[in-house]
Amino acid sequence: MTDLPGYPSRRSFLKASAAGVALSGLAASASAEEKTPPVPLDQYERQYLNAEEWAFIMAATARLIPSEGDGPGAIEARVPVFIDLQLAGDYGTADDWYMEGPHDPTAEPARGWQTPLNPAEVYRQAIPTFNSWCETTYSKSFADLDTAQQDEALTALQKGQAVLAPELRDFFTILLANTKEGYFADPQYGGNHGMQSWVYIGFPGARAAFREWPERHNIKYPLGPVSISGERA
Amino acid sequence: MKTFLKVIATLVVLGVVALLAFILVPVQRSAPTEQLAADWQPQPGQGEYVLNASDCVACHTADGGAPLAGGRPIESPMGTIWSTNITPDPETGIGNWSYDDFRAALVDGLAPGGRHLYPAMPYENYRLMKEEDIRALYDYMMAEVPAVKNAVQETSLDFPFNMRFGIRAWNWLALTHAPGFTPADSSEISDRGQYLVEGPGHCAACHSPRSPFMAQDGVTVADDHFLAGGVVGGWNAPALRGSASEIGKWSTGDLATYLATGRNSHSTANGEMGLVVEHSLQHLTDADNIAIAAFLKGIDGDAGEVPQTLAAAGPTALPPAEADAAGADTTAMLTEASPEMPLGARLYLDNCSGCHFVTGKGAPEIFPELAGNSLVTGSETTPLISVILNGAEVPSSAKRPMVLRMQGYGKRLSDSEVAELATFVRTAWGNDAGAVTAADVAAVRKASATH
Repeated sequence: MTDLPGYPSRRSFLKASAAGVALSGLAASASAEEKTPPVPLDQYERQYLNAEEWAFIMAATARLIPSEGDGPGAIEARVPVFIDLQLAGDYGTADDWYMEGPHDPTAEPARGWQTPLNPAEVYRQAIPTFNSWCETTYSKSFADLDTAQQDEALTALQKGQAVLAPELRDFFTILLANTKEGYFADPQYGGNHGMQSWVYIGFPGARAAFREWPERHNIKYPLGPVSISGERA
Repeated sequence: MKTFLKVIATLVVLGVVALLAFILVPVQRSAPTEQLAADWQPQPGQGEYVLNASDCVACHTADGGAPLAGGRPIESPMGTIWSTNITPDPETGIGNWSYDDFRAALVDGLAPGGRHLYPAMPYENYRLMKEEDIRALYDYMMAEVPAVKNAVQETSLDFPFNMRFGIRAWNWLALTHAPGFTPADSSEISDRGQYLVEGPGHCAACHSPRSPFMAQDGVTVADDHFLAGGVVGGWNAPALRGSASEIGKWSTGDLATYLATGRNSHSTANGEMGLVVEHSLQHLTDADNIAIAAFLKGIDGDAGEVPQTLAAAGPTALPPAEADAAGADTTAMLTEASPEMPLGARLYLDNCSGCHFVTGKGAPEIFPELAGNSLVTGSETTPLISVILNGAEVPSSAKRPMVLRMQGYGKRLSDSEVAELATFVRTAWGNDAGAVTAADVAAVRKASATH
């Protein structure tokens, strides 16, 4: 998968695939599906993010949903691709949001989206600001920190200790939300590659037909998920 | 030697004379089967009703064109035949036709001047219509259908099918049945149904097989192969008789409901039959649709209980049917949802079972049954593949206004997946039909893309 140094992604991806093969060995005919693998993340052609932003997103999502431990991480699920595509699309441009103002970025958070910036602009401005904070604090940009420092830096960002301008203060909130979305959304949006997160949590996907199951108590639903585009896992 | 040449020459001359006579001597029109009184007038609405029962609109109206103004392409094995303008426009329609001209078209397949109509016009069937219905139809079309000036594309088939005198020879083979209606005298209801089916409804045009020379093999109930099932343009027009037929398992009420609304507790009408329901059958009276159903169900025996009314108005809540004995194994396999199931079954669960259910029984009047469905198990696989790829639509009718739409799965499934899925449904729940290949699917996908 990714060849970025410092990420255990290749190993855990292989592990996840091996588990997949073991499962599908029983049902080779039903779930083996020859699909061309997607381009590796380091060769991915970015739609919105620039190189510095991409390096940050790769590093930050890998800490928010790490690859080590149970289940796939954000990198295996290709969450960075999801975020890049979303920022290039309607979400990034806040296409169907009310953005006319008046905006009051200092208003209390319960009052909703108060920055005049759209999400794509928030990412664009917040990432270099946060990277400078990391330079000041650790003498390295975020992507070059070790994982313990990255966790520390993200915690500081979350708690507002790494201070961003009021217009950017929701950055961590949307970064975390977008990471979760990219992890769990249907694969057609670029993340949740191979429906790995669905397999992990046992969500059967977009099948929408379980009429026989509501009354079959304490029996685990046996089939893996299916995506909106018909992908099986 | 000289004598021999003389004989040959004589034969050639005779042959040429015979051929010229065949081409040039005018064809005789059939006489009316019944003399109507001089002051005979159709019942109010009779002509329009005959028009609906005969489904003239379906062929003689182009997509988006004025009703009956012609110009619809009709694909035939001989080439494309363009339907004509039958509005009373004198220049481009039939405004100058006398009643005898009109009857000759319906009964003998002859246009004024003795020109032969292509048998895409079902005069083999209209020939059986009653004189008074033909007359009522003529009066209505001349007096009440708005004249539309619309010169339609001339049909031009390749040689030899462009030699219209050839149809004269064909008619000798095809029109062996006398004009006019001969009731089987089983009951008043059944005779009415027989008339609508054999004559104006021209059901045999699709639902009877074709003879080797492409004539209908079975035009009246007296014929062995009448309505025994045909193939039209890659679609099966299923058999309407015989215990193995799909409607053999339906009640007379089920069948009448299907005719009037395009849907019943077993199946839905789409494709050509959807158009027949939309343009023709839904406009018939309940009594006539019940009569058609009673006649069809009675061809091979007892029609069973004949209902008085059909498709009651108002909200209906019909529970989905349980699996039957033939479908029990497939139902159990799908219910278990084991990852070891074959790919076709898995694709069915992933894509189809939300509506058609693991029982293959669907939901009454909404989602058709796949078990025993003639579209699913037909000898022609194009319709099933096409429905999976492109979806299907059941038209709105007065009694059941909701249009039913199935989405297409062409984007979601590859050719080999569609083939696996189609093969599965053709063999599930006791269905027993042959496999579908990825090449079959690719061909249909390609054809759909170019239409």
